[in-house]
Amino acid sequence: MADPRNSKERTKSFRRKLRYRGRFAQVLIYLGKLLRMFIYQSDWKVFPMSALIAGLLAYVIRGDFAITMEGTLKGSFALACVCIWNGCFNSIQVICREREIIKREHRAGMHISSYVAAHMIYQALICLGQTVLMLYVFSLVKLELPAGGFITRWFRLDLGITLFLVTYAADMLALLVSAIVHNTTSAMTVMPFLLIFQLVFSGGIFSLPSWSAPLTKIAVSGYGLNCICAQAGYNELPMVAGWNTLKSMRKTRIGGEISLDQLLDYVSEEAGDRSELIADLRSTKVEGDLTVGEVIDFVAQDPNLEEQRQKKYAASVTVGELINLFGEEQAKQAITQSSGQASIRSRYERSVENIVDCWITLGVYALLYAFIAVLFLEFIDKDKR
Amino acid sequence: MFVILTFLFGTYHSIDIILEILFSVSLVFFFRKCAVRPVWAFVPFVRAFFLGKCGDCKPEGKAVAVLDLLSNLMLLAGHYTNAGSVRFFWINPLSAAISIVTLIYRIRIYNGLCINFETKRLWIAAWVLVPFIPAFIWGLSGKYHCRFTVEEMEADTAARITGRYVAESGGGLTVNLDERVSRRLFEKKYLLRDIHMVIQPGHMVLLLGGSGAGKTTLINAINGYEKAKAKVTLNGNNVYKQYKEIQHDIGYVPQKDLMRDHDTVFRTLSDAATLRLPQDADIPERRALVREVLDIFGLEPVKNSLVQKLSGGQRKRLSIAMEYIANPSLFILDEPDSGLDGVMARELMERLRGIADMGKIVIVITHTPDRVIDLFDDVIVLAKDSNLTGRLAFFGSIEDARMFFGKDRMEQIVMSINRKEEGGEGRADEFVEKYGEVQNG
Repeated sequence: MADPRNSKERTKSFRRKLRYRGRFAQVLIYLGKLLRMFIYQSDWKVFPMSALIAGLLAYVIRGDFAITMEGTLKGSFALACVCIWNGCFNSIQVICREREIIKREHRAGMHISSYVAAHMIYQALICLGQTVLMLYVFSLVKLELPAGGFITRWFRLDLGITLFLVTYAADMLALLVSAIVHNTTSAMTVMPFLLIFQLVFSGGIFSLPSWSAPLTKIAVSGYGLNCICAQAGYNELPMVAGWNTLKSMRKTRIGGEISLDQLLDYVSEEAGDRSELIADLRSTKVEGDLTVGEVIDFVAQDPNLEEQRQKKYAASVTVGELINLFGEEQAKQAITQSSGQASIRSRYERSVENIVDCWITLGVYALLYAFIAVLFLEFIDKDKR
Repeated sequence: MFVILTFLFGTYHSIDIILEILFSVSLVFFFRKCAVRPVWAFVPFVRAFFLGKCGDCKPEGKAVAVLDLLSNLMLLAGHYTNAGSVRFFWINPLSAAISIVTLIYRIRIYNGLCINFETKRLWIAAWVLVPFIPAFIWGLSGKYHCRFTVEEMEADTAARITGRYVAESGGGLTVNLDERVSRRLFEKKYLLRDIHMVIQPGHMVLLLGGSGAGKTTLINAINGYEKAKAKVTLNGNNVYKQYKEIQHDIGYVPQKDLMRDHDTVFRTLSDAATLRLPQDADIPERRALVREVLDIFGLEPVKNSLVQKLSGGQRKRLSIAMEYIANPSLFILDEPDSGLDGVMARELMERLRGIADMGKIVIVITHTPDRVIDLFDDVIVLAKDSNLTGRLAFFGSIEDARMFFGKDRMEQIVMSINRKEEGGEGRADEFVEKYGEVQNG
């Protein structure tokens, strides 16, 4: 058999085409390289950093996440942001810092697709590690999370899948940027724009004009936010902002004039249908079988009392007194539930379709970014010196 | 009327338009001094290109012409867009960004004008703020003269093209390069022209030339990285047409040590072997080969060290070993001795001589050739002609080169072909012409 290293033999053999390492074998070469560099280079530092960030995050979102609407929205946004931050920083420099090396190796027979595939596998492992670490830190600091999951049996597993996918999609996006730019300085210049775009166009926190709707569709953060909110049951949670505002106004005095007619409207039969408290009041017996409701209806309808009904009286009451009038618990429930109902958003709907759609979209984006990175790197030989 | 004024002048305020007209008028005198047809002073956008030419900044001139056109169009678009609309939201920041870029390019042009007119850089501020004043003063005052007019800058005084092709050799490397051009903003620039030679197997060849002569460009054209209008054959195979098949038969060691610092020496070499060797080579065979190469290049003691821990010489050797392991028949090294002391450089070159003695072609670029000149068989001398194009000033044996240039040392040869502005003798065109005559008999 001819010596594969012998160049004369090889020259003769060009017609029969020598076979060199295929794409799969090259993936293994580069994966091995990346794993070795994880140990020797500073890549491992992303793990302690993730743990610290997760601890800080847990401190911020504790007590509100998956308990109230506002807390869930803020917590979900913070979780999505941390994932994007982690993902972006994992890979923003990995390709551009060794662009010249890649160029040399590409000329020596390296397949770009194998190189990017090795990065995809390696970064998937890093992102998985970061996600597990985040969930572990949440357990350590006893962050309260719902017990039961919606897709799987465990909420932590559901959340973990989402966090992983958001981190990975952001990681692949940063990998794409790293494949496009030519040096680390450019990469770090682009990075803030990437992060700000993700934060602004997540579609949850900032109110955006209608023309920007398509942009929210390409923001990884938006899908992450939707998915986490849906998993935490955002739409079924109470909204406490209104109630908290009202409570803080307890001592505020409301003054003015009120007619008997207006007062009778507050305790009318229709009002009784809406409020249990008024219904109870109306059914209270005054004497014999005569109820308060019957007295009120008589006063409200008797044409002889029209003049008295229009007469105005001075009224002065504090917000606290009003709350006490209806009963604090009942008032709280009524306000939080009704403001919650008004804040329901279809994109946070807790349904299998919604959550799985978000997962699939994030996965597709990650693959798309990697594919585009391959396309860009295929032209690496055209780089100007 | 508004549309025409805004498109042409980028403004519709009468004061601004008057200033623009004043600038055009003053440019007439300025252009006359630079040997540019004065009529161009009145053609919007194009005048920026000619102003760039006056300052020997043609690419910048083109960029400003295009940016001016864009800027004026944006201004028009902005005017017809409702405030608060999406377009308005994008047009204004984009317009601001274009203005900044235009300003930077303008400053470059004005700097070029200051160099050509040998004036103080303070004039740049005047050109930026009130351009008609410096254009007027420089154009009319006898105190200001340009060193080179546009005509002089564009004059073709370079050596003639011989166009003499060399016959292909069955073995070895044959280069018949007509031209290697680069295009930037539609501008064609010749990087290399008229290079023809045959290098025999077993020869170690020195590639000599001053900075910017096109040494790396020639190497990249030979190994097929940057294709030129040329036919390059290695052992009878066309490098460009059969690149995929032949790429492993060419080893190129770049100037920079392109290796991953955080990998071990053994793994770096072993991965290079896996990547570069045919599939037929099994794992034990590859390992044996890696050990052999480690031994040849004296890297055995550091095989488990990280690349970043290696000395400059060891890094160079590892970089060469990565290519050597594939046993290529053409070996090209771009300044392998940069950063090495004399002893280490000599040792490295002796190893390369050993590789050449195995029947391979070794082409080496080095800026300190005289300490190792005894190891080389041939020398290629590349020179920048008066058009700043890389040309072949000589190819042949070391002894013949000494006779051809009338110099004993290679560094003296470089000095003789370097431009006068670079401290050389500026005889590049003379030697290119002479070599062409020698080749044509």
